[in-house]
Amino acid sequence: MNTAPQCVIVAMGLFGVSMGINAAYEKYHGSELSRVPSSQPYLASANAQPATSNPDSGNVSASNSQQDTKVPAPQQIRPASLAPDFEGLTLYPTINKGIRTPFDLWRFYGRGASSYASPVLPMRWEQWAGFHAKQKPGLMQDIYDYMASRFNFNKASIPNAHMSGGKPVMLGPVARLKDSVASFEDLGSLPAAEIRKRDLFPYKPLAHPLQSTAHMVFPQSWIAAHPQHARIDVDHDFPDAYLPEFPPPMFLTTHLELGDVTNGTEVTIDNYYEIFDGLLTPEQMEGLKELLRPSPTTWFNQTTHRVTTAPSKGVACLDCHVNGHTNAAFELGPDSRPNMARLRVDTPTLRGNFNLMQFSSKRSIRSMDHFSEVEEYFDGDPGMQQAIGPRAVKREVSNRMADFNAILDNPPAPKLDPLMQLDPALANASELRGEKLFQGKARCATCHYGPAFVDDYMHDLKAERFYVGRPEGPIKTFPLRGIKDSPPYLHDGRCPTLHDAVEFFNIVLQTKLTKQEKDDLVAYLLCL
Amino acid sequence: MSSTQSSSKPSPVPAQSAGVDLIRIALGLNYFHFGYLKFYPDLSPAELIASYTAQRLSLYWIDAAVTLQIIAVMECAIGCALLFNVGLRWVAPAFFFHMAATFLPLFLLPEVTFKFAPLAPTIEGQYILKNFVLVSAGWVVFAPHLRFLHRRAQSKVCAADVALEPATAAAVSQSPSSQN
Repeated sequence: MNTAPQCVIVAMGLFGVSMGINAAYEKYHGSELSRVPSSQPYLASANAQPATSNPDSGNVSASNSQQDTKVPAPQQIRPASLAPDFEGLTLYPTINKGIRTPFDLWRFYGRGASSYASPVLPMRWEQWAGFHAKQKPGLMQDIYDYMASRFNFNKASIPNAHMSGGKPVMLGPVARLKDSVASFEDLGSLPAAEIRKRDLFPYKPLAHPLQSTAHMVFPQSWIAAHPQHARIDVDHDFPDAYLPEFPPPMFLTTHLELGDVTNGTEVTIDNYYEIFDGLLTPEQMEGLKELLRPSPTTWFNQTTHRVTTAPSKGVACLDCHVNGHTNAAFELGPDSRPNMARLRVDTPTLRGNFNLMQFSSKRSIRSMDHFSEVEEYFDGDPGMQQAIGPRAVKREVSNRMADFNAILDNPPAPKLDPLMQLDPALANASELRGEKLFQGKARCATCHYGPAFVDDYMHDLKAERFYVGRPEGPIKTFPLRGIKDSPPYLHDGRCPTLHDAVEFFNIVLQTKLTKQEKDDLVAYLLCL
Repeated sequence: MSSTQSSSKPSPVPAQSAGVDLIRIALGLNYFHFGYLKFYPDLSPAELIASYTAQRLSLYWIDAAVTLQIIAVMECAIGCALLFNVGLRWVAPAFFFHMAATFLPLFLLPEVTFKFAPLAPTIEGQYILKNFVLVSAGWVVFAPHLRFLHRRAQSKVCAADVALEPATAAAVSQSPSSQN
C-alpha cells in the first residue's frame, strides 16, 4: 500500500488523466472523424444569428453581411443531443466489412467515418473466404432463431387463396406478441405511449442480417436456379413459403389476351428473344435485353471485393425483379450513410409501374427513365464503379429499359370493375364489407386510391411512436393492385402476410378494428 | 544452485526494487488510461477488437456497448489497484485473465490480426503479441503477492530440509565429538 501522500499524488494523477480524456472527447466528438453527429450546433448557430437587415430600407450593412456568411468555427461544433423522444439510442458499434452487426439496429444512431466506400477488402481474399466460412453457420443459426422469435412461420395458408401463378397465400398474423398482451385486438386498444413503454410493438424494423457488408441477398428459390448468386457470408432470412412465387407470371398491357406470356418460365438473357420476338417493339426488346444483362455490383463482380466463391458476372435488373415482378431479394436503400443507418428494402414489383409517378421505397425517384438509371448496383456510391467495373448505361438505353418497364401489367383482378370497385355480383359478403372498411373505418383509402391504389406520396408513419428507435422518415406508399402476389409487406418486409400488414396499420393508425373486420379487409385485399 | 553460483549472481541493488515499482506504476497507468478511454464509445482504438472478442466469448448475448463498459470497468479497477498498490493479491487473477483474453483475437480473429499467420501480424496482431511483455511485467509485480507461489516455495524449503536431515545425522555421527 502506498503512503498517504503517495495516494494523494496518484489520485490527483488519475483525476488529471480522466479530465484530460474527457476534454479530448469533448473536442473529438462532433469532429469529422467522430461517429457522433453534429447537426444541431449548425442549426443552433444559424438560429443564433439575429435578423440583420433593415426591413424598411432593405439594406444590409457590410458588417452584418459578413456575419451572415460566417461559417461556424470548428470549436463551436458540438455533438447534437438526442431529442427527448429518441433518448435511449446508442451509437452504432465500430465494425469492419463482414463483421456481424446487431439485428436490432433500430436502437442505434450515429455517423460514419466517411461517405465513401473502399473497393479493398480489409484482409486477403483467402482470409475473407475463410472468415465467412467460419462465421456463416453460427450467424445463420442466430438469424433463424431471431426470426423465429419474432414470427411464427407455421406455414399455414389461407384456404382457396392463391397468387396469380397458383402459389398459396400465407395465413397470418405470424408476428409474435409479448406474453403480457393477450391478442392483437388488446394491443390495438392501447395508446402508443403505453405500447412503447411496455415494449409491445411486434413490427419493429428488420435490419439486413449482415449490415456491415449488406448488399443483395437472394431467396433460396432463386439460389437453387442460380447458384452463382449464393453468398459466402449470409443467406435470405425468410422461408420461401412466405415469399412470392418463382418464377412469377408476366402480364403485358399490350397483350392481355395472352395471360402469362412466359408460360411459367423464367425470362433470361438466353430465352428472351425466343419468347418475345414478334410481341415487342425493337425498342422494348432492347430495353428488355438490357434489363436481363448482368452488370458488376459492389459485391457481385470479378474482383476479390465480392461475396461469391467464384468471380461473378454480376447481377441483372430482372435477377431481383424476376419476370418484371419480384423474388423478394432484399438490399439496403442506398440513400443514407453510414451503412448501418440504411434501411432494409425489399424488391418492389415492376408491375403497374406505368401508373406510378414516384418510384423506390425511400428516394422519391420521379421518372421511369431515372429509375432505370438509378445507382442500386454500387449502393449509391458511383466511385466504386471505377475499381469494380462500370455499369455504363447510356441515357437512350435506360429510356428503352423504361419502354419495356412501361408495359408490365398487374395480374388480373376479375372481381374489380373498371373503376376499381368490387362487382357485387362477383364478390362475397366478406369482401364487400372489406371494401367498405378500406374506404372508411380502416382509413386505407386515404393513401391507397385510384387505379393502382396508391397516392404517389411519401408518408412518415412515425412508427417510432410505438418503440424506442431511430425514426425512419417518409416511406413511399405502395400500390395495392396485385398486392397478394408480393409478400412480405412494408419496405423491409416486417409484415410477412397480409394479415400482418393489416395488424400493423391497425396499430399505427389506431383504427381499433375487430378481428372480423380485419379478416374482411384481408379478403378484400386478396381481390385487388 | 551451488554456493559458488550464488556468489556469482550480482546482489540486488535498490534500483531493482524501484524498478518493480516503476513497472507497477507504468502498468497501472496503461490499464487506467486505456480502460478509461473505453467509457467513451467513440474514442478507444481497441473498440472493434475488444468488443468483437467479448461478444464472441459471450456467444453474442451481450452487445458491443455493454461489453466495452464491462472491459472498461475491469481495466480501470486493475489500473487503480496497481497505482495505489492495494489489493494486488486479489487483482492478480483479474490481470492474468484479462491478459489471456487479449491474446484471444489471435485465435478468434486471425483475419484481422495476421497478414499471414503466425509470423506476419497486422498492426493489431503486433500490439497483441507485445502483450507478452506486459504479462512478464505483471509477473514481476504480482508474484510476491501470490500465495500459491509462497506455499510452493515453502514446500520446497521443507522438502530440502527433510532431504537434508539424514545427511545431517550422518555427518553428526561421523563428527569427532560423536566418536568420542
